[in-house]
Amino acid sequence: MQVGFYFDQTRCIGCSACRVACKDWHDIPAGPENWMMILYNEQGKFPDVFVSYLVRPCYQCIDPVCIPVCPVNAISKREEDGIVVVDSEACLGNEECDSKCLKACPYNAPQFGPEKGAKMRKCNYCLDRHLEGKLPACIEACRTRALDVGTLEELKAKYGSIKEADNFKYSERTKPAIIFKPKQ
Amino acid sequence: MENQENDPIEEEEIIIRTTSAFDCGGRCPLRVHVKDGRITRVEGDDAEEPDQLRTCLRCRALRQYVYHPARLKYPLKRDGPKGEGKFKRITWEEALDEIAKKLTYVKKTYGNSSIFLVTGGGYLGALHDGTFALMRLLTQFGGFSTHYGNVSSEGSVYATQTQYGSPFVGNSREDLLNSKLIIMWGWDPARMISGTDTIYNLIKAKESGIKIFCIDPRYHDTAVILADQWIPIIPGTDTAMMVSMAYIMINENLHDQKFLDKYTVGFDKFKEYVMGDEDGVPKTPEWAAKICGVDASVIEQLAREYATAKPAALMDCQGPARSAMGEQYNRTAMTLCAMTGNVGRHGGSAGGGLMGIPYGHMFFGARIPPPYRNPVEVGGKSVRGSLDLQIRFIKRCHTNKIFDAIAKGKEGGYPFDVKFAWFVNTNFLNQLGNTNKSAAALKKLDYMVISELWMTPTAKYADIVLPVTSIAERNDITRPWPSGPYYTFNNKAIEPLGECKSDLKIAEELSDSLDLGEEKFVKYPKVDRILKTLVKMPADTRKNIRDFKKYQEEGIHRIKLEAPYVAFKKEIDDPENHPFKTPSGKIEIFSQRVADLKNPHNPPVPKYLSTWEDRNDPLIEKYPLQIISPHPPNRVHSELYLVEWLKEVAPHRAWINPVDAEPREIKDGDQIIVFNNRGKLTIEAWVTERIIPGVICIFEGAWYDPDENGIDRGGCVNVLTKDAYSEGGASALNTCLVQVSKLENWSG
Repeated sequence: MQVGFYFDQTRCIGCSACRVACKDWHDIPAGPENWMMILYNEQGKFPDVFVSYLVRPCYQCIDPVCIPVCPVNAISKREEDGIVVVDSEACLGNEECDSKCLKACPYNAPQFGPEKGAKMRKCNYCLDRHLEGKLPACIEACRTRALDVGTLEELKAKYGSIKEADNFKYSERTKPAIIFKPKQ
Repeated sequence: MENQENDPIEEEEIIIRTTSAFDCGGRCPLRVHVKDGRITRVEGDDAEEPDQLRTCLRCRALRQYVYHPARLKYPLKRDGPKGEGKFKRITWEEALDEIAKKLTYVKKTYGNSSIFLVTGGGYLGALHDGTFALMRLLTQFGGFSTHYGNVSSEGSVYATQTQYGSPFVGNSREDLLNSKLIIMWGWDPARMISGTDTIYNLIKAKESGIKIFCIDPRYHDTAVILADQWIPIIPGTDTAMMVSMAYIMINENLHDQKFLDKYTVGFDKFKEYVMGDEDGVPKTPEWAAKICGVDASVIEQLAREYATAKPAALMDCQGPARSAMGEQYNRTAMTLCAMTGNVGRHGGSAGGGLMGIPYGHMFFGARIPPPYRNPVEVGGKSVRGSLDLQIRFIKRCHTNKIFDAIAKGKEGGYPFDVKFAWFVNTNFLNQLGNTNKSAAALKKLDYMVISELWMTPTAKYADIVLPVTSIAERNDITRPWPSGPYYTFNNKAIEPLGECKSDLKIAEELSDSLDLGEEKFVKYPKVDRILKTLVKMPADTRKNIRDFKKYQEEGIHRIKLEAPYVAFKKEIDDPENHPFKTPSGKIEIFSQRVADLKNPHNPPVPKYLSTWEDRNDPLIEKYPLQIISPHPPNRVHSELYLVEWLKEVAPHRAWINPVDAEPREIKDGDQIIVFNNRGKLTIEAWVTERIIPGVICIFEGAWYDPDENGIDRGGCVNVLTKDAYSEGGASALNTCLVQVSKLENWSG
């Protein structure tokens, strides 16, 4: 089974409620470690302006490129749901291995705190909540209901299977588990 | 990771149902997780959709707000020059004893009118609100002076009182789905909420095929997702554009004359102005285009579409009214709503900016009233129903003149000399116009007390700072700001931090040290009992909340309306039995009450009027850019300013169009200085196509932090704005001219 995200880009106001909910749930201080990021894109000239926002959690890729590059096999993909998890204790830290996972990931999902030798942590689809049958914190936090999760099959049945969105490039190599309603 | 399955947290944690009491534009159910007496996490409403009320990022960060290391936990006494922020810890006994002695001295020496109570919107709960607790105490102490006019919406309040005789001009948000066209004028609910889930209702409207126009100097985040067309407009000129829309409608006979005949008075006089019969200037789209910067063809198209899409909702929010002659904007919008027959109709709108519905509206909120009227304000002309602002200033000063009144007193024409000021629920030094001038006034103030959670820029000038509890440390009842239909209950999640006390408790304890003569200050040690009484007090909660225990347990009482609420539906459906609350009983496009004031800046029919510091002001040679200061997206005015989770998601920056940035050699991310003759501030530039050329935007609420040269390094926009109010009482904070320079090129 493979879980994934759905993002309705036409609804996102970039408010960051998802981002703050994520930090609260996982108790992550303000700073460089962001399991959920919001990307901004502005195009055009006044008054014909185009703006889009893009959510960037860990997309729980189908073939995660972060896994093979980890020198100590600290990253793994759960068979039962496809969630990509990291054993932060096994992780060597960003200095010793030169953040190989982060360099491999086209979406900058692996995250490190500000301290020297910080261990990698990242969005884990709110695994603790998932195991209790709850939705990830970001999904429940979205004021505009632009986000959803489920198995990829369910999501495709519900929303179609568009793999591209503004400011997003689908990586055939790592196969991010996200589908979109893109903003055009 | 495997261990997470057996995580013991769930078993030990308890969930407390509460909400915030911020002046934020919404009111959202929260489930606060508490373990070992500490908040561990915050979750939102768990009601099933479509009833779920989703909180925004502000309350998502509630935990960091409550436990922020900068929270004040002990009473403080100033121990250095005013404004420097040097304080020493004292006991509650010492603090209250000193305050009581000062109050007694000021009362005896100068009289009660020299005691000045300064209040704001920092806490909107019914019981622990320091505003009401202190009003009650100071009334019984012989009275106090205070101020009139709310900073956010006074222009809209005046305008709606003028034309409808009522501030309840809003429709249920879901009624937007009954519209065929929505005009969002100066309205950005993505940022300022405007009722929980308003943005979501608008999304549903948009996705059902309803066309949406956004008129605003900025391409804001609401426009990003909703606007079929963004119409950028020069600040302060909205009324001109609206007047020319009226011209098109009249000229092409698109207006609803039957509706106007039946429900309004004075349309003919407005028509004379619009068509130029009055002043020889027809208010054509070409006339408006020169003023507002919107192409005449765009105005024509909008006017026709609005007039013919029935029903259509013109949603004129309060920001454009927060300016000189701001009342004219909401009045003209209401006139357009009447001209198109959209008042009192599903899918229409009444205009008027306030957007509130009477189910849960905070204007009806309960409070423990003082036993009698404030003795300082007894007697004189009644202000009730009057549109003469000046009679309000016989006893009070305007809110945007608080610091001018402190500085000048009776000599400056104010009704009192301030010798003692108590600030509660407010950081007005930061939030009113002309901060530098205000700071100078506070330096000269005899004595000042502030009740606060934080060492705010205002608190730094106080003699005594009293630490108050946050909403998480109180039981209280709250209301959903402008829109329901529901009522919220705040269950106390944790014990007070440090030595913090609730504002109610502070008033109760202080009452022991004050000589109240024969009187007794009633105390309410049993909080649940008084909350029950407060629920029974206003008619709406008395009628709707029958089961107090359930309301308390669930933290919310939701009401199911049979149909979306529509303002003035009764007045339109059955005008015989339901006249408007105006002297004529009709919508007053012409107001005799205003005509009687004989004030050329406050005309009896709405008009576009040029103002100080608009683009016609010669001052524009020196200060060529206008500045607007909307509500911030990531805090509530200046509240929550220090919360890092909120700070990092929206860096404090000045919006500037490349057209204005390039000749000044300003690149995105550069430090710039924004200045005029009132002040200077430094801030990072955000060079963006999303703002109309000639306009700078800085969100209000960043904390004032002047350096040794008087340059504000905190980016507090009010060092630039003027402490002025419009004829109807609007705080004119969006009427302001500035110049901008790249900081490294600036020579002073």
